[in-house]
Amino acid sequence: MKFDYKLEKLLKRVEKPGRYIGGEINSALKDPAKVDVNIAFAFPDLYEIGMSYLGMQILYNVLNKKDNIYCQRVFAPAPDMEELMRQEGVPLFTLETKTPINEMDFVGFTLQYEMSYTTVLNMMDLGNIPLCSRDRGEDLPIIAAGGPCAYNPEPLADFIDIFVIGDGENALPDLLDKYAQCKKAGMSKIEFLKEACRMEGIYVPSFYEPEYNPDGTIKKICKLYDEAPASVLRAILPDTESADFPVNPLIPIIEAVHDRAVVETFRGCTRGCRFCQAGIIYRPVRERSKDTVIKLAKAQLANTGHDELSLLSLSTSDYSCFEELAGELIDYTKKENVSLSLPSLRIDKFAFDVLNKIQEYKKSGLTYAPEAGTQRLRDVINKGVTDDDIFNSIEQALILGWKHIKLYFMIGLPTETYDDLDGIADIAKRIIDLNYKINGPKGGRFNVTVSVSNFVPKADTPFQWAAQNTAAEFEEKHNYLARKLRIKGVTFNYHDNTTSAYEAVFARGDRRTGKLLLEAHKAGARLDGWTEYFRPDAWERAFEASGISRDFYTTRERTFDEVLPWDIIDCGVSKKYLINEAKKALDEKTTRDCRLGCTGCGINRYVKCSMDGALRGEAHTDNE
Amino acid sequence: MSNRYAIKFSKDGYIKYTSHLDLLRMFKRAFKKTGLMLKYSQGYNPHPKMGFAQPLSLGYSGKSELIEFETVMPHTTGEIMEKMRKEMPEGIELISCFELPENIKSLAADADAAEYKIWIPTSLSEDVLKKEMDRYLNMTEIVALKRQKKTKKMEPVNIRPMIRSLEINKVGDFAMIKALLDCGSRSNCSPELVISSFCSHCGIETPRYDMEVERTNIFFVNKLQY
Repeated sequence: MKFDYKLEKLLKRVEKPGRYIGGEINSALKDPAKVDVNIAFAFPDLYEIGMSYLGMQILYNVLNKKDNIYCQRVFAPAPDMEELMRQEGVPLFTLETKTPINEMDFVGFTLQYEMSYTTVLNMMDLGNIPLCSRDRGEDLPIIAAGGPCAYNPEPLADFIDIFVIGDGENALPDLLDKYAQCKKAGMSKIEFLKEACRMEGIYVPSFYEPEYNPDGTIKKICKLYDEAPASVLRAILPDTESADFPVNPLIPIIEAVHDRAVVETFRGCTRGCRFCQAGIIYRPVRERSKDTVIKLAKAQLANTGHDELSLLSLSTSDYSCFEELAGELIDYTKKENVSLSLPSLRIDKFAFDVLNKIQEYKKSGLTYAPEAGTQRLRDVINKGVTDDDIFNSIEQALILGWKHIKLYFMIGLPTETYDDLDGIADIAKRIIDLNYKINGPKGGRFNVTVSVSNFVPKADTPFQWAAQNTAAEFEEKHNYLARKLRIKGVTFNYHDNTTSAYEAVFARGDRRTGKLLLEAHKAGARLDGWTEYFRPDAWERAFEASGISRDFYTTRERTFDEVLPWDIIDCGVSKKYLINEAKKALDEKTTRDCRLGCTGCGINRYVKCSMDGALRGEAHTDNE
Repeated sequence: MSNRYAIKFSKDGYIKYTSHLDLLRMFKRAFKKTGLMLKYSQGYNPHPKMGFAQPLSLGYSGKSELIEFETVMPHTTGEIMEKMRKEMPEGIELISCFELPENIKSLAADADAAEYKIWIPTSLSEDVLKKEMDRYLNMTEIVALKRQKKTKKMEPVNIRPMIRSLEINKVGDFAMIKALLDCGSRSNCSPELVISSFCSHCGIETPRYDMEVERTNIFFVNKLQY
């Protein structure tokens, strides 16, 4: 039966069939037979999520600009579609040409969150691709993976042939060019991998094998191929100003989570919050010039007809010319009837002026993330925010008429006590009182939402050695907070404990946790990030079948001299720096924002860092 | 000048699996991109003055769909066609553009009937099908279950008065029904109701997903025709 006809019959029976049809404006149309390398860029989640991801747009643009490469897309089907595909024998296919993914040269997964790992396996399975790399012959695609979770690649080491660690703009096309050369030279897959493993940011897990101590920790990582590097330095794009950025992005054919023009203002962050992986692995800060940002924004808006523009970075207002940039964009977007959104804004006086201008009378809600309830704990995590910062800005917001304040906190942070939880409730209470004081008893509806997430220690952060709370501890803390936050006008939200523990297992898991993934996949787990699709029963069975101890990975504190599963990957920041930060955390000592003076993270061993002391001369609150 | 225009277009191929809201977003964006500025409604949440004559159900193809809009400045229909054509995704073909008279209501308000072609794979012969169709149309009441908007419950409705004409022929392995049905805000009959009631009437058990529906035309009150 013709594939198209078979597919059409499926499309008539599923929800949101637009997820599976392709044909978006600006999608790349090439003849797969006429290129050297065919790659499927795979996002292990639904279309609406994957299409909102800027990284895909960047790489799709970079790859398809090359004549010898054709990059297509594939997303995870929703369970209704998956069931029909399995029933009717329709393999997972690319959106652009409806080619089964097992006919590609490469399938490249982006790893944005740990709870997508089972979906990676499920997508391979739906594409009739054997899951374990050792079971895949020459005729099957090379399975690649990258993205922030690839900084601890080990849980997926048995399934992925090749990891691309770091900035992909140059690393990925270079890798595919290398593949094209090897293919033309008639080389086998293993010969290609041997060539590739010497390239920047490339990790081939099958060239290494960990050896374990009797207590289960890693003794050492042995090389199985002598020429493989002892340490894999992540690929680092020296600057973003000259990097190619899409001005003709794909436009989602059905409504995506984010459906708007996006310009990345800079990569990296100078703040050094100790729980934050992004703050480490994207160093150093690399800015685009203001003129480039504006030029890109205008081009994207003109080319797409989007009616919303957003800036993307880890901390929007840390951009060096933020005030000028914001001013110019506000004027431009107003003139063009485009709404402007500025996420991750640090709330200071200027930010208020900006917010006031762009939100005008539509004051949707103000989000603030103190992360911890007391100054002591905020110093531990190096979140450079004081009580005064919090309450001054909230007071401003209340005077300006915001009626809904959203607060984000983490619980289970290292050294946390119940005093810190009391601090969370105090902040909420003080905001309610403040509103009463400012707006009086007839101030109208006012609401504070307190959202609490569970701390998950991540690789390449100063807290990578820390213990996670047990499920019981989290539960007790949730209950405690629920009681404390029974305040009129306060809504309390918290995360599920089960998934935070699974997330933690894979965030710091070694190669053995791959078995757990495999078992979870067999038990039917996929799309675990979705409450409605998450199957705790499947995971329970998987833990049992794999014999993996959850606590070994979650609640166990590591010593600084333990060999960590991801030690093979060099994220650019030195381990010495991370250890020093971890020690300072325990001493409740903060580290300054490195724009106030270099703090010695070590990234400048590999690349020029232009942030060192960029703001020196301004007052700072360092208590070193 | 009222600057009111309509574009006639077809929707076919994979893009028929997008909803009419998705299509509306697509058109809105296309207008924005061409620089053909649409008039905006006044109020708290301004939106462009633009809309389909009738929404087309997800999964249906359309031969003669209409979208109307109002621009800030006058444009020639040729200019509109030329600019908009460049922005259409695969599967949307623009057929023509024309000005709307000032004195008519919106196309949506004036829509009156629509013509469909329904393709149903079946082993029944043309003779049998034609006889069954005569019997079906001769009933004074044709009861179909329709989901009520408010209660979400399936309620029986008599669709016979909303059926203007039905004609059936066998084309290859398919029964092809040409249906003219009430369409619009006054009275509306979804082809789905005809499909389900006719199939159960003559015992056709073809699953719905094997059938195709195409809207071939939309008709308006006062014999307006676009």
